[in-house]
Amino acid sequence: MENSQPAPLALDPDHFNVDFTAESDLEALPPEEPGLAPKEWMQKNLFSSVGSTILTIIFSIFALWALRGLFGFMFSGERRWDAVATNARLIAVERYPLDQFNRIWFSLGSLLAMAGLSMAFFRASGYFTLKRIAMWLMNLGVLGLLGVILTPGAKTEVPPVVEGELPTFIQDSFGEAIGGRIVWILVSLVTLGIGLALWYGLGEDRRRTMRIASRWVIAAGFGLAVLSLWVVPYGRYFLENGVATSEPGLVAASTRIPWTIMWATFVGALLLGLALRDRIPARPPKMILGLLWLLAPFILNWIVLRDPDFDYDHVFSTDIPMALAFMLVGGALLYWLSNAGIGEKGKIVSIILLAFALFNWVAGFFGIYPMLQKARLSFLFLGLFALIAGNFSRDVRTRMNYVYAWMGSMAIFHWLVTAVNSPSTLDITSDTYLGGMTLTIFVAWLTLLVSFPLGVLFALARTSDMPIFRLLSTTYIEAVRGVPLITILFFFSVIIPLFLPEGMELAEVAAVVVGYGLFSAAYLAENVRGGLQSIRRGQFEAADALGLTSGQRTSFIVLPQALRVSIPPLVGQSIATFKETSLLAIIGLNDLLRVANNTIPSQTDFVGSKKEGLLVVSAIYFGVSFAMSKYSQRLEKRLGLGTR
Amino acid sequence: MTMTETPSSRIEVSAKPPFYRDVTIVKWLVQLAVLAAVIFVAWFLANEAGDNIRARGLTSGFEFLSQPAGFQVSDGIDDNPATGGRALWVGMVTTLRLAIAGILSATVLGIIVGLGRLSNNWVVNKVATVFVETLRNIPLLVQIFLYFTILSGLSRVALDTGPINGWLHVSNKGVAIPRIKIADGFYQWLVLMVIGAFIARFVFKNRVAEQERTGNDSFALPIAAAVLAAIGVIAWFIHPIIGFLEAPLWAISDVLDGIPQIAVQLGLVALFFLAAARFVKNFRDSRRTPAGMAALTDDDWFRQIFAFVAAAMASVFVLIIWPGLSDWIVNSSSDLFGVLADKFGTNPETGADRSGAPFAGERPDIVQRGNFPNYGDSGLQMSQAWAAIFFAVTFYTAAFIAEIIRGGILAVAKGQSEAAAALGLSRMQALRKVILPQAFRIVLPPIGNQYLNLTKNTSLAVAVGLADVVQVGGTINSQSGKALSVFVIWMAFYLACSLTISVIVNFFNVRMKIVER
Repeated sequence: MENSQPAPLALDPDHFNVDFTAESDLEALPPEEPGLAPKEWMQKNLFSSVGSTILTIIFSIFALWALRGLFGFMFSGERRWDAVATNARLIAVERYPLDQFNRIWFSLGSLLAMAGLSMAFFRASGYFTLKRIAMWLMNLGVLGLLGVILTPGAKTEVPPVVEGELPTFIQDSFGEAIGGRIVWILVSLVTLGIGLALWYGLGEDRRRTMRIASRWVIAAGFGLAVLSLWVVPYGRYFLENGVATSEPGLVAASTRIPWTIMWATFVGALLLGLALRDRIPARPPKMILGLLWLLAPFILNWIVLRDPDFDYDHVFSTDIPMALAFMLVGGALLYWLSNAGIGEKGKIVSIILLAFALFNWVAGFFGIYPMLQKARLSFLFLGLFALIAGNFSRDVRTRMNYVYAWMGSMAIFHWLVTAVNSPSTLDITSDTYLGGMTLTIFVAWLTLLVSFPLGVLFALARTSDMPIFRLLSTTYIEAVRGVPLITILFFFSVIIPLFLPEGMELAEVAAVVVGYGLFSAAYLAENVRGGLQSIRRGQFEAADALGLTSGQRTSFIVLPQALRVSIPPLVGQSIATFKETSLLAIIGLNDLLRVANNTIPSQTDFVGSKKEGLLVVSAIYFGVSFAMSKYSQRLEKRLGLGTR
Repeated sequence: MTMTETPSSRIEVSAKPPFYRDVTIVKWLVQLAVLAAVIFVAWFLANEAGDNIRARGLTSGFEFLSQPAGFQVSDGIDDNPATGGRALWVGMVTTLRLAIAGILSATVLGIIVGLGRLSNNWVVNKVATVFVETLRNIPLLVQIFLYFTILSGLSRVALDTGPINGWLHVSNKGVAIPRIKIADGFYQWLVLMVIGAFIARFVFKNRVAEQERTGNDSFALPIAAAVLAAIGVIAWFIHPIIGFLEAPLWAISDVLDGIPQIAVQLGLVALFFLAAARFVKNFRDSRRTPAGMAALTDDDWFRQIFAFVAAAMASVFVLIIWPGLSDWIVNSSSDLFGVLADKFGTNPETGADRSGAPFAGERPDIVQRGNFPNYGDSGLQMSQAWAAIFFAVTFYTAAFIAEIIRGGILAVAKGQSEAAAALGLSRMQALRKVILPQAFRIVLPPIGNQYLNLTKNTSLAVAVGLADVVQVGGTINSQSGKALSVFVIWMAFYLACSLTISVIVNFFNVRMKIVER
């Protein structure tokens, strides 16, 4: 590891990407089971014994009944799916101003472009064999046909003859119901037909060996969804003079062009990445992408979406000079400190810097010695950078790289702080400009970013040989793991304002992210600790024998191995973090779930249409979590954990 | 790593390193600095909080525990609690009921689904897979809202309705099912059953010894179960003879009441120091070799000193900071025996007839008290919110437990089942005696973790307005503004729950452990 990062971070490509380079060879085809004839297959898997036959019958009836219930629920006349279609914007971004919507599209576009480039450069792409695709299509077709047959007929309400009696319902007959579903029968039959054609059109060998990279399957699926905007007139539905009116095509018309551009951006980035990846060195784009993923939530949220209104006089008179001063003076200092012959002097200088930073901090809190928060933080960073400067005392190039890293992070930091502290130009009445899906994603992402370094720190402290650190960290981890998340969120949204000194305020979202990050860090720490404990003693001893300091031993020998082992539980923890952002709904933030559960049912047009929104939200959460868990399973297999 | 030189080393160490390079000193300095920083930050924040609380006219403290609550609590053991403390207690009981019911049902469902995922039957396998993958990937809160909404969309309660009238009712008021209730004679019957369990155990061991001696199957388990069942039936009729326990229990309660406070305090102090001394003695005993004593690190010294410091701090706490604690211990143990005594014999005050049957069955009924029919008092009713959260935590946790069970069974090496087959065990025997005991050992810790998660997840009841401890605490907070005190109570309660579950799971874990060399 001649990585110049002091402590490996979560998204450092080198850790996540240990041996992804040979993408096709690693996933060797599993030996195929000899195909059974349908009759033998049924005998083996469904009717092997009397008990098995009974189970088959009972569970088939149960499954069909559940399917009928689900289809009946989804296609019942009482369902108002237009409540979701009309409110798609609310679900996605809540009340972000319509005239500023290009900012949303820009953010989404940059994320998709980054996703496309990352898929190409990190080579994190699997394959689907044609056999599997054919199997899916056939399953989908059969499911569609089953749905057509099973879904109960529509109920028509007959008004009561006598005033005050309950209305009666007439159910469509089977024939009538099927008659109204000709389109669906055709779609299912076509899907089934394509599947069958793929299956039997290719020989046994070819359907096993021919395969499509999953990135193209993703692009195609995305493309189909976008295409549906052009074909299906998703409508808007509203009350006009007390009469329900629908205007087909409104929702689709307003979104089809941006979504098409989004799709083009994604595919374009993917193609660009694929074209470039074999022509340019692999390392720089990977590092840049990793850094971009780290910075994306900050930049997109605070700069793009929030649209800061910079006070340019102040920017030019104070902010830029200060940033430049820190960059240049700090850079020179760091260059001097990373000089190989510096010895003890370097440590003393860095300790003085740290002490100065801490003094600033404490004094600032008491208002004795006011200094810009930004300067205080910069001094603290400079002290920390100085402390580890000794690790980069190699050739001039390494030293200069370290200086560049310092300058880059200072520039980004000063820019961010200035942007965050400028007022927003958005004309929004509520206290936050994020909502719905954007809030969910933002909180989940930021929480993971906050909790990962903290979790690693807590894990290191808990496994260290220093008793006070161990005691503090163990107490913290166990106390946090002992209480439910919702109490922590309540604590941070209600109690933290009490703790802050006068004049210091924390937006509720920020308070929640801090609380959630601290909570999540305790769980992450336990996962990382599992990885740390799996490191053999010999590794520690070998590091000591090489004469590494304990900091070097930890960051270059122990942590890389430990993190590799803990990737699967860490992905699991990330899924849990994503799912549990739904708790924001309880403390009153307008996240995805709250929009579906409270906002939409309270609209006059859609009073009480809760189930539709909740089902869609379940589907969104299910889609993301399921995809992530499948990915983590593949990752586990690829890393060969437990087998090496 | 301390830099100790072995005596045999030939290398001359020229001089001691300067103090700022001495690893031990630097380590301790850093640790103390961090500790000081943590304490400072905590003190600073607490100070600010105190100022802010005073500035906003709020008060901290726990007076609300004994002041009138002033709000109603739904679905609890007490609809109209007299004090804030009582209201919190009602909330805690609701949480505990949910947790216990959820743990039991999630375990049963999880085992069934987990075995289903291993089934050779294609249909069973697929149904179990869909169950697991769907339910564990949808957030619990979304599920709670979904079930709650579906339940509220059901039809109203009407007389003579329900999927199975008189046995199962599902409506927008919730779910009602029959239940078996503990009746007046239960505790007396329980004492007899405990004795019966010992007898059955004796019989079981006897039969097993017989089987080992003769080699013939002696039906140890069926016979022991039959003995226990027979004793249960006999006890059903003769349990009033246990009523004599009432008098001695009252006597113990009276004796406890008479102990002076100072005696308890001194006893506790002695206990703390004895425990510390015992810890140090055990610790030193375990190192009592010359090499062991020499290798005592700074860390080990810290432990020994800390044991006594902790004892002294606990003593100060008991003697000075909270002297009432000792009184409380005496009083509550006296009360405990009083409550126990009350369970035996016939008490004219409460009117409980202890000679009655130990159990009573109840079926749900629907009565019309006002304009609309509603569930009566009989049977087990889950309100809408209760049913939503109960089914949500059950399904959600069951999905995770199913995966753990499946993983545990798959993790038992294949050689084990082959060895069992080679020994001539039948499939069932191999499963019961070879596979499951090993799988149990693997699945126990993660399942314990799931139980902890389930208990914590019941706190989401607040989302649908069920009055669990979090919801009641929230109400108290919004009334009195005592956020900090409420948070402390929540924390103590959930930590106590977590600790209890951990202790229980650990107990089994230790018993199941492979005894190694």
